[in-house]
Amino acid sequence: MVFADLFFLFVFLPAFALCYLLAAWIDRRKAKAGAVSFGWRNSLLVLFSLIFYAWGEPVYVLLLLASVIVNYFVGLGIDRPGQRHRKAALVLGLVFNLGVLATFKYLSFLCSQLAAAGLPVPVPRIALPIGISFYTFQSISYLIDVYRHTTPVQRNFRNLLLYISMFPQLIAGPIVRYGTVAGEIGNRKVDAHDLSEGMMRFLRGLGKKVILANQLSEVSSQLLTGAGLESLTTAGAWVGILAFTFQIYYDFSGYSDMAIGIGRCLGFHFNENFDHPYCCNSITDFWRRWHISLGTFFRDYLYIPMGGNRRHQAFNILVVWMLTGFWHGASWNFLIWGLFYGLIVMLEKYTLLRVAHRIPRWILHVYSLLLVVIGWGIFYFEDFGQMTHFFRAFFGGAAFSDFAAVDALRSYGWLWVAAVLFCLPLRDWIVRGTARWTASRPAWAFAARSILAFLLLAVSVALLVGATNNAFLYTRF
Amino acid sequence: MRGDRAFVIVVAVLMAAFVAVFCTLPRSRYSELEKRELRTFPAYNAAALRDGSFTAEVSNWFSDSEPFRDAFMTASMQLKSWMAFKPLRASKESVTFHAPEPEQAGEEPLVEAEPAAVEPAAAPVMRNQRDIQEYHHDVDANAKMENAGVIVVGSAPTARALMAFKNKNKGEKAFAKVVNAYRQVFAPDVTVYCMIIPTAVEYYCPESARSCTQPEFPVLKELYSLIDTAVQVVDLYMVMGEHLDEDIYMRTDHHWSPLGAYYAARQFAEVAGVKVPDLSEFDRQVVEGYVGSMYGFSKDINVKKSPEDFVYYTPKTASYSTTYIKYQLDKDYRITGEERPHQGDFFVKMSTTGSAYCTFMGSDARITQVVTEVDNHRRLLILKDSFGNAIPGYLFNAFEEVHVIDFRYFTHNIKQYVKDHGITDILMANNLSHVCSGGIGAAYQRFLNQ
Repeated sequence: MVFADLFFLFVFLPAFALCYLLAAWIDRRKAKAGAVSFGWRNSLLVLFSLIFYAWGEPVYVLLLLASVIVNYFVGLGIDRPGQRHRKAALVLGLVFNLGVLATFKYLSFLCSQLAAAGLPVPVPRIALPIGISFYTFQSISYLIDVYRHTTPVQRNFRNLLLYISMFPQLIAGPIVRYGTVAGEIGNRKVDAHDLSEGMMRFLRGLGKKVILANQLSEVSSQLLTGAGLESLTTAGAWVGILAFTFQIYYDFSGYSDMAIGIGRCLGFHFNENFDHPYCCNSITDFWRRWHISLGTFFRDYLYIPMGGNRRHQAFNILVVWMLTGFWHGASWNFLIWGLFYGLIVMLEKYTLLRVAHRIPRWILHVYSLLLVVIGWGIFYFEDFGQMTHFFRAFFGGAAFSDFAAVDALRSYGWLWVAAVLFCLPLRDWIVRGTARWTASRPAWAFAARSILAFLLLAVSVALLVGATNNAFLYTRF
Repeated sequence: MRGDRAFVIVVAVLMAAFVAVFCTLPRSRYSELEKRELRTFPAYNAAALRDGSFTAEVSNWFSDSEPFRDAFMTASMQLKSWMAFKPLRASKESVTFHAPEPEQAGEEPLVEAEPAAVEPAAAPVMRNQRDIQEYHHDVDANAKMENAGVIVVGSAPTARALMAFKNKNKGEKAFAKVVNAYRQVFAPDVTVYCMIIPTAVEYYCPESARSCTQPEFPVLKELYSLIDTAVQVVDLYMVMGEHLDEDIYMRTDHHWSPLGAYYAARQFAEVAGVKVPDLSEFDRQVVEGYVGSMYGFSKDINVKKSPEDFVYYTPKTASYSTTYIKYQLDKDYRITGEERPHQGDFFVKMSTTGSAYCTFMGSDARITQVVTEVDNHRRLLILKDSFGNAIPGYLFNAFEEVHVIDFRYFTHNIKQYVKDHGITDILMANNLSHVCSGGIGAAYQRFLNQ
């Protein structure tokens, strides 16, 4: 199940909300004086999360459960006294989690490469369990944090299951660290402000996905797939990949907004996953703003333990970026995409970042965005023939322009304008700029928010009817 | 923030309103815009639940049969149309169509394409049916690419939607081979005719959008060169080209118009040596406000806002009776059974405006036999796709019997059928997109052996 789906919006979510309110009422009635209880609410959240996952993956929900069981006991093992035991348990847990990931995500790819090289290796056909990269990384972060004593071990199995399987962030992140929500699992507070912020955040995410990303995907797929790719012109390549550049941002950040919004309504405060990445001044800066939860995961659990910038920094950077690319999918283009960024980040460290303060900001923006767009070109095409064809056109090795490219700009003119504007910190500017006005006219501010919420919901619902491109890009990773 | 509580109530009420609409009101069962039955709730079985197809089907059902689906889709299309930069297009909202003769390209005066007066042209002059020349025509209008490879030319209320021609499967060789095989199988008792119908995009696509479609002319030329000379080719490329300033193709549907089919029938009659009455010998029937399939394909609001008259013609004088053998189909349009022959009307009054093209015989999934009062020992079998549906109604004064079989729905052996019914002429009437798809050739080949 995905968030931008009418069944989720009007069946699953309302059913969950009603049951959750009922569970909250039961919790309040059963709580002893002065104490708080979240037992019913947490159990209900687990139940709905498993239904949410099983809706799309009826069999792989067992894999998810098995993974949580193993991590639960490994976590308890790590918490036992004795350094040797703890380390052994951690290694066991890491081998298990990475083994599961390798088996379900990379084994088919590895075997197909060996078979292509002429080795008599059978290629297993293993379907990728949805969200496996996200929940495996969350499990790893839990085990390492417990090992490092950053967070206490979770002794309640249901609560660990809740952390791993919580449906708002289960299939496409953000990768929530256990420490971020550990306290809130057992004791969280939700007031009207949380609810209103969470709802608005959810609706904003829905709008980003349905109004912007889905429409942009029509442009990118029209130009970069099938007959459109065959007759690609230079202008078409640029328009198509720019559409994808915006599409992937609004798709993924929209999902993150919806996850953060639902979490907020339930009393969880997930960390931000995006910080206006297309406003970056360098590629290093871009990766501080894009998919922050993945970047910090690799920084904290791989880059720094490998030595960080203290020793073998160049090697560390390349390894981390190669793995970052490979995390996105079992395909060579993702590996190249990761290495592409690794090389640029390394080069920037020794060159650009030292002189950046002397270069006009607009030049830094253009430089960064150009490389980001090229990066998405590598990311988009898993087929090398298609990638080569695309880049030949992109760099001028095709007719300059055609009807399809011009039409994509003209027929979606206002969409392009919106796509550019909403990449900027527009909301922050508006909130800051109108702070005094909204404070003095609360009724108007309320009306404006309500109208915006209505428009976001109504327009999204209208566009969802008859839509076939609702799957989130990052759910396949 | 002040007003948080009120805002939460507003959003909750909004959500509750949508939930009430989507979960309590009767669900849509048929989409007039998309011209299709909508999904129904899936049947439960444990295997489907295990492999995820049951839950996926439930989601698909919920997202496909919403209450007021067509109204929501219309709103959706309107929203999408607002995304376009209108000012850039304002200067070319009308469609101007330049339709010169092939030999006199550029010398004809400009002719407005919409609306066109329907005046039947003079009787065609017989020519070598394979010697065709390319039309160099130009349509002066804005165009845009929409879903499913549809090019929308102009804007409401006279927008024209064109299905781009993409010869991906290159099925023309296989089709020509099958046509030749029919000639071999049925010669010398039965004459085989081949009519390949060009689609509207060949004539009405603006120059600016030509790169989005492939030219049909060279494919037709190739087909004519591949088809055995003993097969009677009925060329429509030139015939349609001579009538481009008339409504020979529907603007909002992927089909041609009954008027286009009339000119095709007349051309066929010339080649076959029979007579088709003048158009004045037919009663003119009009279905107003017709919006065809291209709205569902293109999802462009301009098409929805460009309704047209669906004009068809019924014979004034011919006396005939129609017998159908209907096929029963499952939800995936697979044949599950065959009904007993029964009498019916050839021209069927459709219950909805949007299905006006089904006026001819009511649907494709049937074998049709029309017995006329003509006594010339000529019995025609038309093997066709849906374009061919509009042809038979003009031939009831020309043949003793007219049989119609769709390439998708026939379970018998065609040799036996031809023999049993004393067929003397076989007309294969199909549009070029289908011809090149490969599937139609395979189907006709199968008819010979099944």
